[in-house]
Amino acid sequence: MICGKCNVELKEEPTVFQYLGHELTHPVLRCPVCGQVYIPEDLVRGKMHEIESMLEEK
Amino acid sequence: MNAFTRKTISSVCPVCLKKIPAVLERKEGAEGIWLSKTCQEHGSFSVPVWKDRFDFIEWTEGETPLSCEEEAFCSGDCHSCPSHLQDCCCVILEVTKDCNLRCPYCFAYGGNEKEYPPLEELKKDIAVIAEKGGKPLLQLSGGEPTLRDDLPELVRFAREKGCSYVQVNTNGIRLAEDEGFVRELAEAGLDIVFLQFDGTDDEVYRKLRGRELFEIKKKAIENCSRHGLSVTLVPTVVRGINDEELGSIVDFAISCFPAVRAVHFQPVTYIGRYPHGEREHITLDELMEMLCVQTGIDPVSLLPSRCDHALCEFHGTFIVNRDGKLVPTSNRKYFAKKKRSSASENREFVAGHWTGSSEDLSREVSESMDFDSFIYNMTHRSMTISAMAFQDAMDLNLERMARCSLLVYEDGKLIPFCGKYLTPMEESEK
Repeated sequence: MICGKCNVELKEEPTVFQYLGHELTHPVLRCPVCGQVYIPEDLVRGKMHEIESMLEEK
Repeated sequence: MNAFTRKTISSVCPVCLKKIPAVLERKEGAEGIWLSKTCQEHGSFSVPVWKDRFDFIEWTEGETPLSCEEEAFCSGDCHSCPSHLQDCCCVILEVTKDCNLRCPYCFAYGGNEKEYPPLEELKKDIAVIAEKGGKPLLQLSGGEPTLRDDLPELVRFAREKGCSYVQVNTNGIRLAEDEGFVRELAEAGLDIVFLQFDGTDDEVYRKLRGRELFEIKKKAIENCSRHGLSVTLVPTVVRGINDEELGSIVDFAISCFPAVRAVHFQPVTYIGRYPHGEREHITLDELMEMLCVQTGIDPVSLLPSRCDHALCEFHGTFIVNRDGKLVPTSNRKYFAKKKRSSASENREFVAGHWTGSSEDLSREVSESMDFDSFIYNMTHRSMTISAMAFQDAMDLNLERMARCSLLVYEDGKLIPFCGKYLTPMEESEK
């Protein structure tokens, strides 16, 4: 996958996600130049949603 | 801190239980916030409801007073209540009045009668509860419910009728002495054992329960663990008896993890049977402070209820790490106070944390918090520490009772717990 801004290939990197006082890491594709990350929909609807629900006590 | 001055509420006269106006107020020369009220016939009464260990306004933010309409229908006599503000999270069904203990403190006045309602009658009640209560968490209580040999049949029936979770509220004596019975309950689909557990010292049990019980409690937990039943320890906290045991109870719970998944403290409430004239209320904030001091838990990890009233409950969620320490996952700083939970959301949250997982827990606990480890830990290694402050005739606040989601089934009605067990004070106790 190519960064739309920098036109370079994204590389999978461990990335820190902050939510409700927690810092959790997960590998996602990141642009080595600008640092922009790509978060796939299945991650958003899957694990990220699950963690949000746990932290929000839903 | 301490910005609160005064609020008008409704309560009842502790002697005649008639609805009367009351105020939450500060009193000159006295610590904290008091509930004060006057009955024309029986005089004036005042009881502390908050001791300023934490900020009252911050803790109760999001609680709105009853509207005039709500105020009008909430009579204080729940047996005739035409309506109620909260749905049902948990329903309690008494399956016998009989008990194998005669505890000096018992909200249900257990053991005074040998009453055992017929099985078919209880099944009819359960069918009504499953329908009326919206497939609630059903707590089979008493008296001592395990005195019924047909308890597993009731558990199975409740699951068949669609109750989301089934819990047994017990002193644990039969669970310790009759492992076959524990197996039957597990096979019938019991989810949670709500175990009376007041301390790790038999002196506490002699005073609170009239006999030594610590070894029995340990054996009951061992038997539940062997058959995959999740245990919640339920201490009644009484000033001067076990209010210094909170830390050792939590340590004990951790040592029994994952068989024990939760500790649910209940500061003593003067309902049912209690020592005549005793009124040593422990307020919710006072209990939180005791717990934090004795365990090292950071107070910011304890949250008020979003389903019931903020003055009725606190809870914190923790991960038990590999050193047996509690790592908090809840944080009041990020807590959306104004967003209330429905009773069904609350039920899934509470029961989800009180029940265990059948998965093998031998997997190494990762300290690095990647997504997978966090989900694994929250699913399999979480422990809940919570408390519920019930109300009695002295400190009853109808604003709290109107929002209660813990209901007791009786004669076709679902009655808020504190309304069902409300006990008038005798004139001689004044």
